[in-house]
Amino acid sequence: MPARAAADAPHSSGVEQHAPGAGAAGSERIVRPRWRARLVRGFVAVVLVGHAVLLVRGYADPHKFFAFQPFNESSTWRADIVRVTADGRRVPIEEPWPGGYDWDELVRWGVLERPGTMRHAYSGLGTSLDFLDDALDWVADHTPEDDETLYLEATTEAYRNTRGPEVRVYRSELREEAR
Amino acid sequence: MSATTTEPVRDEPTLSDRIDDVFDRPASVRSLAVLRLALGPVVVVHLWPFLADTLAGTTYEDHFWVRWWGFVPEVPGAVQVALVWTGAVAAVGLSLGWRTRLVAPITFVCVAGNLFLSQHHFRHNRAFLLFLLAAVALADSGRVLSLDARRRRARTGTSPGDPGDDLGTVWPLWLLRILAASVYLASGFSKLIDPDWSGGLVLWDRAVRHQHLVRERVPEPIADAVVDLVTARWVHTITSPIAVAMELFIGIAIWFGRTRLAAIWVAIFFHLSIELSASVEVFSLAAIVALVIWATPSTRDRVAVVPDATWVRRLDWLARFDVREEPGAELRVIDRDGTVHTGGTARWVLWSRLPLVFPFVAVAHALRRVRP
Repeated sequence: MPARAAADAPHSSGVEQHAPGAGAAGSERIVRPRWRARLVRGFVAVVLVGHAVLLVRGYADPHKFFAFQPFNESSTWRADIVRVTADGRRVPIEEPWPGGYDWDELVRWGVLERPGTMRHAYSGLGTSLDFLDDALDWVADHTPEDDETLYLEATTEAYRNTRGPEVRVYRSELREEAR
Repeated sequence: MSATTTEPVRDEPTLSDRIDDVFDRPASVRSLAVLRLALGPVVVVHLWPFLADTLAGTTYEDHFWVRWWGFVPEVPGAVQVALVWTGAVAAVGLSLGWRTRLVAPITFVCVAGNLFLSQHHFRHNRAFLLFLLAAVALADSGRVLSLDARRRRARTGTSPGDPGDDLGTVWPLWLLRILAASVYLASGFSKLIDPDWSGGLVLWDRAVRHQHLVRERVPEPIADAVVDLVTARWVHTITSPIAVAMELFIGIAIWFGRTRLAAIWVAIFFHLSIELSASVEVFSLAAIVALVIWATPSTRDRVAVVPDATWVRRLDWLARFDVREEPGAELRVIDRDGTVHTGGTARWVLWSRLPLVFPFVAVAHALRRVRP
């Protein structure tokens, strides 16, 4: 097989050529500058090590990012979320909200909408509840017209693979607007 | 007195030689080219919900989102608009093989960029899609089955099928093989060590809570019986370990020539069953198409002598055969080791290496072997 000249190979870079010899008889090999050969091998090593780390880390990560553990649970959860006002009232988010805010509109993600309804725990209980916790902070931070809510509080009821309930309470950051 | 030493004769390549071969010996990138063809539509389907949002005037930052790393500043929503639209256009170019060396990395960067805008964009199937896009971008996947290849042929005066037309560096292919196999193994292993999963509790509970979907999709006369079956605890005690075993089998058996075809068929069955029972976006299509990476990266190393080559040439996307048309000749396949196959064996070798018909031929072949 003839060696492929770099100039005839529009997809090849100028420094990468095929050369006969080097390997088994009649074969050809790609000739790269030494630094580039090391770079390629180093890149592959880094990718594989990083991938392995993420696979192992998934056992401790509630989100299991890049750990490839899909359909890992059949857990369920629901939450009662209230606005706790500066004067101590606990107002369910389903009731009118200063500024006309609506929880479902704010989060606009099926996983967290209608939190009062028992639902499947998307990607596992850890993922769902961690996102709910983040959503409390996000909503508290993105409702500037609400001048009465001091913080949001969610009381969750969860069943991990049918076992439970596990009850937890999550709170958002305190809001400056109501202080 | 002098001593002479003789270089030991090495018949078998060492592990180091094999690793060097992966990086330095060119081989066929045709399987990645076939994958590239399919990834364009897959990316467009994946990006469609984001495109629709931008058309409606909303971006990720208009609703709940979570940054991946605290030190990264908030990215303006306009960047997402640019990412998803550029990615969609680049994906079309990717499929066509137009300026592949440029559009393949752009497609990867846009899809990855959109995923890393917010943690809630993450899905396992999207991570798998990133692996595929990265491999296609790193390899010279535009060498064949592309507008780039057509333009090159016009300039150099070569024709399709010339020796070496699909040769390129294949370390991205091997890297993708390792990543893809590890996905099956990681998924299978995590379920194997989880008693709730391997014991059937997880699948059973899902089936019980989604039985209304079964009732909606199954015709009335048999709906009750099907619901009774899929919600029976004992069924999942049996099927869950089988599901785990299938994933582990795919991740291991796909590495060996003797078991690879079986692993690929099991993988097709596995992904189709997931598609029917769960919402996994583009994963089923991407994962089934990605099975082409397990084709041996050499082309036209078997000879097929056929009376009419029309359909074989149309279906031989991976160029597994040097197809020779001899009107009136009996079908013959000359394998890599020189073995000449005729009759039913030749038909099996031929049709089982054509991607589109393989799933059906494999079933027919298996049934014939099972029956006396």
